[in-house]
Amino acid sequence: MGRLISVTLTRALLALLIVVALGPILWTVLGAFKELRDIVTPVPKLLFSPTLENFATILRNPTIRDGLLHSVIVVSASVIIGAALGIPAAYTLARHARNWGDDVQFFVLSLRFMPPVAIAIPFIVIYLDLGIYDTLFGLILVYLITTISTVIWLSVPAFERVPLNIEEAAAMEGCSPFEIFWRFALPVASPSLFGALVFTFVLVWNELLLALTLAAQNATLPVVAASITSLGKEVPWGVINAATVLLVVPPLVFIGLLMGLLNTSVQSGRK
Amino acid sequence: MKRKTFVTLSLVPAIGILASLALVSVAGAVWFALMNRTLRSSDYEFVGAYNFLRLLRDKRFFNALEISAIWEVVTVTGTLVLAVLLAVLIYETVKKPLWRNLICFAFLVPVLLPRVAAAFIWRFLYSPSLGLINYLCGLVGIGPVEFLADPSLALISVAIVDIWQWGLFFTVILLKLMETLPRDPIEAAMLDNARTWEIHAYVTLPMLKAPIISLALVKAVESLRSFDLIFVMTGGGPGTATETLDLYAYQMGINMGGRISYASAMSILLLIVTTVVFTIIWKAGKKWAA
Repeated sequence: MGRLISVTLTRALLALLIVVALGPILWTVLGAFKELRDIVTPVPKLLFSPTLENFATILRNPTIRDGLLHSVIVVSASVIIGAALGIPAAYTLARHARNWGDDVQFFVLSLRFMPPVAIAIPFIVIYLDLGIYDTLFGLILVYLITTISTVIWLSVPAFERVPLNIEEAAAMEGCSPFEIFWRFALPVASPSLFGALVFTFVLVWNELLLALTLAAQNATLPVVAASITSLGKEVPWGVINAATVLLVVPPLVFIGLLMGLLNTSVQSGRK
Repeated sequence: MKRKTFVTLSLVPAIGILASLALVSVAGAVWFALMNRTLRSSDYEFVGAYNFLRLLRDKRFFNALEISAIWEVVTVTGTLVLAVLLAVLIYETVKKPLWRNLICFAFLVPVLLPRVAAAFIWRFLYSPSLGLINYLCGLVGIGPVEFLADPSLALISVAIVDIWQWGLFFTVILLKLMETLPRDPIEAAMLDNARTWEIHAYVTLPMLKAPIISLALVKAVESLRSFDLIFVMTGGGPGTATETLDLYAYQMGINMGGRISYASAMSILLLIVTTVVFTIIWKAGKKWAA
């Protein structure tokens, strides 16, 4: 009997934990389909007649549409450049840099220690002087710090996991270092590399401070979303919820991938 | 292609861009910190250490420093304590792989949310008039509680959101790590009639010392990037109750008249402190964990 009670209690606790993890998001999704009068109620409503009005509002709003477009341009450009430059560098650090590789890797990692505001403030003035303030190009340039360093940081372990004998055999056959990298190491490591790129994508997609300070007019989606509260007199909670949903969807698409990345890195990380 | 050419060609563009961007921002911050430049006028002159001396007399700066320190301590310990407790709980009570995977999926969702989105979600929940949390508080006779407008509650209310995102994520990582541990020491402890909590406190968690230290370091670095969450949820308020250093530097440098030089001096101090502290902790942590 005591066992039954404790089993029931743990089940209830676990259910509660799942509610705590997912509840806030589901509640927001629900709110995105509510009319304002269904949101501003003293007793929260679970049953209501759903409306698409909030999504229509945000998709009709030119600022939000531009924000979405800018986000797509900035994020894809900075991730693609970050991958093109970072992946070869990570391979070299993993394979061809025995003595000084650790120092370079620590430098790359130490860029993560830099407070973003310490990057933002000087770049405002530099960009104003150069005339690239408020441009997407300027934003992509500072995002390269994040994308290149994160790609390198996550790709070095991926290349270290590639079995050495494949590469040694290729070298015996007379392949050049570039061929070994391009034809052998890259395809073998590509699943983990894809995970690294997704993680980098999520980081840049979510970024607010640099976009807010360096491109306030040509803002990306997080900046636009952060400024919605000031639209009109009443706080448009339904619209805010809909914008939040729009912001949340792209990273969540990749959740399965993150799970896979976790599984492989945990298993090979333990010695 | 020779090996040397390949090494140069693959490394130089990436490291070159990183190094020059880092150098430009640091050198720029130092240069502007020694001037009295503002965004409003293009005239400026050399003022030496004036900005730094003024910082030492700025009460709001020291308040921001204190808030940042509290924020670091609360979010790092909160995240780790929650992750360890939940990982042990799930490890002990959920045995079926399917259920474990479902819980892991649920726990990974919060960390993937953009901070701006997480901030809005919780601002909505915390709202005194229409928030779900205050409704639940009302059912048990408390409230309405002004989670974000009460100076004594605001910082902890925002920290809870951060811990919600990262603590659940770290729970999944710890759980995966516990699954890879060798069973022998645990079974030996069970044969000695050790209690469940004793097994974890003295056997499993000590075996995970190294990864837990790395997680603490990762969280400490990530906690420095809390601008978005605080900016959207409270904007540093009420008053300056949640104003961390990056918020204060942002307010100074952009919102309040664009005092670029003063904000640069602040970010230089922040940069020196974090770089020195984290380099020391990181190297010591690696040594200690090894």
